[in-house]
Amino acid sequence: MTSTLDVGASGGTTVEPEPVHGRQIALVDLLDRLLGVGVVLAGDVVISLAGVDLVQVRLHALISTIRSDMVEPR
Amino acid sequence: MSEAHRLFPQRLETDAESVERDLFKLVLTIIELVRQLMEKQALRRVDEGDLTDEQIEGLGTGLMHLEQAMEDLKSRYDLTTADLNIDLGPLGPLLSE
Amino acid sequence: MTESGRYLYAIARGLDPSVLAGVPALAGGRLEVVEHRGLEAVVSTVDLEEYGEDGLRRNLEDLAWLEEVARGHDTVVQAVATHAPAAPLRLATICLDDDGVRERLDSSHDALEEVLDRVEGRREWSVKVFARPRPAPQQAVPQPTTGGGAAYLQRKKAESQAREADESSAAVVADEVHERLAVRSVAGRRLAPQDPRLTGRSETMLHNGAYLVEVDEGDAFAALVDELASAHPEVTVECHGPWPPYSFATLEQQ
Repeated sequence: MTSTLDVGASGGTTVEPEPVHGRQIALVDLLDRLLGVGVVLAGDVVISLAGVDLVQVRLHALISTIRSDMVEPR
Repeated sequence: MSEAHRLFPQRLETDAESVERDLFKLVLTIIELVRQLMEKQALRRVDEGDLTDEQIEGLGTGLMHLEQAMEDLKSRYDLTTADLNIDLGPLGPLLSE
Repeated sequence: MTESGRYLYAIARGLDPSVLAGVPALAGGRLEVVEHRGLEAVVSTVDLEEYGEDGLRRNLEDLAWLEEVARGHDTVVQAVATHAPAAPLRLATICLDDDGVRERLDSSHDALEEVLDRVEGRREWSVKVFARPRPAPQQAVPQPTTGGGAAYLQRKKAESQAREADESSAAVVADEVHERLAVRSVAGRRLAPQDPRLTGRSETMLHNGAYLVEVDEGDAFAALVDELASAHPEVTVECHGPWPPYSFATLEQQ
């Protein structure tokens, strides 16, 4: 990483240090910050056959049910 | 747009031939989840200390056979545990290992 | 006739508008600066069909749209933040017209000044800590005859305890990394761990930190991260930056 030549705010351009590990902010990092919440994806699975969506399995609901039934403390 | 296309909803693209494998994968995943939860629950019961030696032995043997049966099923379709794991975002990965 | 609005990218102080020449705006628009009481809002005109309430509801679920707009937004924010203290705004902050923009600058004036004081001459750095990838679990076929059921359960218990021990020591490392970095920054924040499907990383994200660091201390900060990474070979530490201060510019939500 190159060191910076910072001429200061009063006139003259400030040269930023070279970004570390690539110039671009990863999309996931950018979306987290721009949308204001950790980006979350729905855990749904769509099963399609020959390009036709047939079944949408709502795994959240299914798994939550199984987990709460199975791990109830006695 | 390569980053965006990695995103959801997750589609199990099937054609008539792979439909069997993909549905099997989904079913096995659920079974594996139940097996892991049963194991966790068994360990909890053993810790609680209210089981007889006989019951503990029976539980362990049963779970061992269940694990063996899962391995057989997985190998039939050439699947590893990692293949079965579905990520549920905020719920974390479906299977804990 | 479609209505239009003003899309706000960032609010700056002491910004020379000429530095925005040649910087692309969203939707083929043109970047402009709306000034009020010493603060400048960087804006461009957008179509409310696309950016109004209904349009956004539709578009925010469209990943391709989201990516394009996020990138376009970031391009403008980076251009602004390189030249003046800037408070980046969240995605899709829209005002109906310039009076609306001025009204916003007016009502948030003091909070904005505070934010700009906080971020002036500083940059955001992202540091993430990941657990090492687990070695593949033994696919060894369990022999039904090695020990009985009780022994099987003992084995499973030991495996589970080993896993928990790993997890808690990993959490300790994450805490230490955060504390060491926070001490060397103006401010540090813990952000939510990210969905592995978005990061493409299968290892557990133990820590997702954002740090506000003086511009000329960036090198020292990166060096500290390297030092912490070397001291903890049991985890992977990643560092990115410098970025505009996205995580340190939020006004208390109205």
